[in-house]
Amino acid sequence: MAKSFHEIRDPIHVFVRLDSEERRVLDSRPFQRLRSIHQLALTYLVYPGATHKRFEHSLGVMELAGRVYDVVTDANNIERSIEDILPNEGHMRHYWRQVLRMAALCHDIGHLPFSHGAEKELLPAGWNHERLTWDLIFCPEMAGYWQEMKVQALDIAKLAVGPKKAAEFDTKVTFTAWEAILSEIIVGDAFGVDRMDYLLRDSYHAGVTYGRFDHYRLIDTLRILPAPPSDTAESTNEPALGVDIGGIQSSEALLLARYLMYSQMYMHHVRRIYDKHLQDFLSAWLPDGKFPTDVDSHLALTDNEVTAAMLTALRSKKAGEDPLSPLAKRVLCRSHFRLLYARSPDDVKINPESGEALYKAAQKEFPSDLIRHDRYSQKGGSPDFPVRMHDGRIVSSISLSDTLARLPVVSTDYIFADKQILSKADAWLQSSKAAIISEGGE
Amino acid sequence: MERLERTALLFELAKQLHEKGSWCGETHLQKAAYWAEELRSLPLGFQFILYKHGPFSFDLRDELTSMRADGLLELSPNTQPYGPTLRPSDRGDILLKRYRDILAQFADTITRAANELANKNVSELERLTTALYVTKREMPQDTAEKRAERIRQIKPHIPFDKALQAIDAVDRVISDR
Repeated sequence: MAKSFHEIRDPIHVFVRLDSEERRVLDSRPFQRLRSIHQLALTYLVYPGATHKRFEHSLGVMELAGRVYDVVTDANNIERSIEDILPNEGHMRHYWRQVLRMAALCHDIGHLPFSHGAEKELLPAGWNHERLTWDLIFCPEMAGYWQEMKVQALDIAKLAVGPKKAAEFDTKVTFTAWEAILSEIIVGDAFGVDRMDYLLRDSYHAGVTYGRFDHYRLIDTLRILPAPPSDTAESTNEPALGVDIGGIQSSEALLLARYLMYSQMYMHHVRRIYDKHLQDFLSAWLPDGKFPTDVDSHLALTDNEVTAAMLTALRSKKAGEDPLSPLAKRVLCRSHFRLLYARSPDDVKINPESGEALYKAAQKEFPSDLIRHDRYSQKGGSPDFPVRMHDGRIVSSISLSDTLARLPVVSTDYIFADKQILSKADAWLQSSKAAIISEGGE
Repeated sequence: MERLERTALLFELAKQLHEKGSWCGETHLQKAAYWAEELRSLPLGFQFILYKHGPFSFDLRDELTSMRADGLLELSPNTQPYGPTLRPSDRGDILLKRYRDILAQFADTITRAANELANKNVSELERLTTALYVTKREMPQDTAEKRAERIRQIKPHIPFDKALQAIDAVDRVISDR
């Protein structure tokens, strides 16, 4: 007898389970392509174990989304003051569970080769990987699967990209409170399962332990709760994902893990400069310097094609004349730029954009193709979410946890220089830094 | 407008709200920025959609976090059960000095928005800014009753009479401009 449920082994969640209809989506071209997209771009050049792909991450996100859904819709866990937002009928609860899992499974299918590395600069204006995800969910191949499953493509697309991007792609799209919560389960700032999975998975593969946290406990304590009062006015009862008080330490651990993973691994300076070198190669290699945005061309392009192109450029007999060759060499032969400047708290006190000021000055002093600037500031809001106390009161997490109130925000500002000018650039920086930063600050 | 110019305008708005007694949490800043941008033409350039407590900008949320990273705003906890305050720090003085020209250009605009909203709590801000959004972006030609119905549709917890009051208040402010 044919199996109607299937299990896939996974190093993070042990088993990922799915039914036959879901497996057809897994077997689709857009999803199978993710087997060839590295989760962390060229991070494996710094952390050799980090060679995992978007494929297994997306499976993990689907698995966790299902687990969270089952917890927050369990009759014993529903907060009475917001139960009106949940669908009443059993079949609608099943419908939304399926939509949520499919949205979680497909949330990354629009990723470009090497994931986030150089996405913004290499797509035409108005495009990003979420828009490609959106288009792929509506493409004829996927539409057939949704029809068989009797789910609406629009529902899946909305939850997969979230309210901000959905509004960019279709201004008529709005989210009900229920849809907003479901989207928060996938891409939410505090408890999105996308983040839960990538922290656990990335730390596992990179071999760093600080990305781990007790996600079993955390998921068991997740609840849909009315937002805590923002001020002395009565709460508006707008629902949000929060936790029972027993989950506050696991929440702290998740958010600390995020801080540590970003500050130490995702923003590692060598990893960041490899993104810039990859971007330089792609700009020169891609027709018109941009990725294609039609479905077929998108599906035909993965990390494999890009890596092959870099190798071809590097090994070409005419490498000396090929402008792609030195760009490929930066990545493949580890001849990346070196760190010249990283912002310090003292610099920021004088000028919050100290890196930008120094980069502009450095471009006047040195050949601009030998200098690069990279700036990142953490996205999302403060870690403020509702917590249900033992006596049933709903309080703000920030009012309860010193750890969350004092959690630092990750922000980096780097300038890199080619090795051949590094010592000269460093001497220039030491002698000019104070004047340049303060000039920009006043 | 470069990033720090916009940051300076936002910092000044937060500072004035704080000085005039606002709780100054993220929701207060979100609604005040929307009000100032939509009604008073403060050129912040954030994209707002209907989301948490009415008009909401994800880009603005990111910018507030950036300002915390740069030490311009400090996350200050309040007693249970209340949400935190975003407190402008002394570090912002550098921005105020550096961008004094653009701040002078929009000083009246910022002061007016801060005066109008500093004493409002989140419930009032939600009603007023949702009414403004519906009036300016969705149903500019419709009657007050129809717009109040629309508010009820978006935010079912807002009673009809309060929605209608908010629409009237917004209509008055628009006609006084």
